[in-house]
Amino acid sequence: MHTLLEILDPGFLLRNSVHVSLLVGFVCPLAGVYLVLRRLIFMGVALPQISSAGIAFAFSLPALGVMGHAHAGHFEGDQRMLAFLGGLGFTLAAILGLALLGRRGAGLPEGRIGTLYILSGAWSILLLVKNPTGERGLLDLLRGEIIAVSNLDLGLTLGAFSLVVLVLTVFKREFLFVSFDRDMAITLRKQVLLWDCLLFLMIGLTISIAVLTVGPLVTFGFLLIPPLVGHLVARNMHQLFIIASAVGGISSLAGFALAYHLDYPVGPTNVALLGIVYLATGLGRMLWRVLSPSPARSR
Amino acid sequence: MTEALIQIEGVAIGYDGHAVLSGIDAKLDRGSFTGLLGTNGSGKSTLIKTLLGILPPIAGRITTNPLLGHPVVFGYVPQRETLDPVYLLSSFEVVLMGACGRTRPGRLLGRGERDLAHRCLCEVGAEEVASRRYSQLSGGQKQRVLIARALTTRPDLLVLDEPTAGVDAAATQSILELLVRLNREQGLTILMVNHDLPAVRRTVREVLWLHQGTVLQGPVDQLLSRERVEELMELGL
Repeated sequence: MHTLLEILDPGFLLRNSVHVSLLVGFVCPLAGVYLVLRRLIFMGVALPQISSAGIAFAFSLPALGVMGHAHAGHFEGDQRMLAFLGGLGFTLAAILGLALLGRRGAGLPEGRIGTLYILSGAWSILLLVKNPTGERGLLDLLRGEIIAVSNLDLGLTLGAFSLVVLVLTVFKREFLFVSFDRDMAITLRKQVLLWDCLLFLMIGLTISIAVLTVGPLVTFGFLLIPPLVGHLVARNMHQLFIIASAVGGISSLAGFALAYHLDYPVGPTNVALLGIVYLATGLGRMLWRVLSPSPARSR
Repeated sequence: MTEALIQIEGVAIGYDGHAVLSGIDAKLDRGSFTGLLGTNGSGKSTLIKTLLGILPPIAGRITTNPLLGHPVVFGYVPQRETLDPVYLLSSFEVVLMGACGRTRPGRLLGRGERDLAHRCLCEVGAEEVASRRYSQLSGGQKQRVLIARALTTRPDLLVLDEPTAGVDAAATQSILELLVRLNREQGLTILMVNHDLPAVRRTVREVLWLHQGTVLQGPVDQLLSRERVEELMELGL
């Protein structure tokens, strides 16, 4: 409790890290719900890795002589924006490419996603192997070190996530409709392609920003585990969104406090905690079903 | 003479430019009840999806004849297995989707639309499952909810893809009676894919039969007479 109060203190040195963790915790699950509903869980794992490759590409640009050299492993201003654009560009290109290949129906979708995942990891390493500064920055991201969060990062995350929450809230009915019954939506002359593009743009934006600030491990942890927890206990779609977001937000705060208290890296601690929450919820639900009289088992 | 709601002229249907069936000429009259028959792989679902605009025709022309200048509205009842049970939607929420075509993006659905959805659920006799999770309903109940959803679109043409597949005999009878009532009492134009020949014979008035690459259309008593069916099925009895 003392640790929790300490990290919530406005004068806390790592307050930006706490705030960005909370934002990622609350918002990533909202986008992740659609990945779970559309059964694109593998994509939820691969996209943060692909986004990392985009960031690695941006980090490698100074070594390629495209931009000036970065200092101390942390990019500022234009370079940070370039890293964001690299992550977003790679993510959206991957979503578009996978969608186009999916529509053609050629090959195995899981195979394509798995290949992209592996290639992204390899490319991230190869792009930075001759660039120690960028390599260190990426290594921090991969380890989920949510320590050096600048005001710029916080502002960028807050702005982008506000847009994501706004769009996902206002157009929730349209996104659910085209996800649930695409054919019916077409017969009612809904612009299905446009809604798909907007949804995946929001998912891509969420992933790019989250990877840039907290790394791929934390991002796919918060994208997928809270919606899966929510799906175990929610009774309707409204509850699913709220529970997923609440589980993400509360776990991020608790994980940060735990990591700070135990002097562990924040990202892995957050994800490990989410895993415990998922396991406990699953066990609790099993117990509930066993102990409840049959009518209550209908959930 | 009855007015055609849909006119199909020289249409070829298929996927990725490969025709499954070509040279289709048919029409659906306003107020008609047509059964779409054919063996597995004959192109029934492809024809339906092409009619609905889900797939583009490879060749030919599909003309709709709207009333009062409004585009023809399709009430589509897909095969229920195509809808993923992972969605935590109540039956009422599923039915309410039928109103999405009339509601502008981002706007809340008004009381009028919610009342209509409720009336459609009552119409198909599924009001008691309104608050229940759609994925937990029986096959027959799901089918009724999907018909209610299609009715909520205020359709000119109700298109059903195997509405009685995997449904028990009592529920099948009940669903078919509902469709007959909708057709007779409300004048709703219906196109229904169904494999159950006896059920089709006693339900529909017109038949579209996809048979060995050709499309036959005619009144049910002519096309589904015992002699004609035996001839078509090449049973040689």
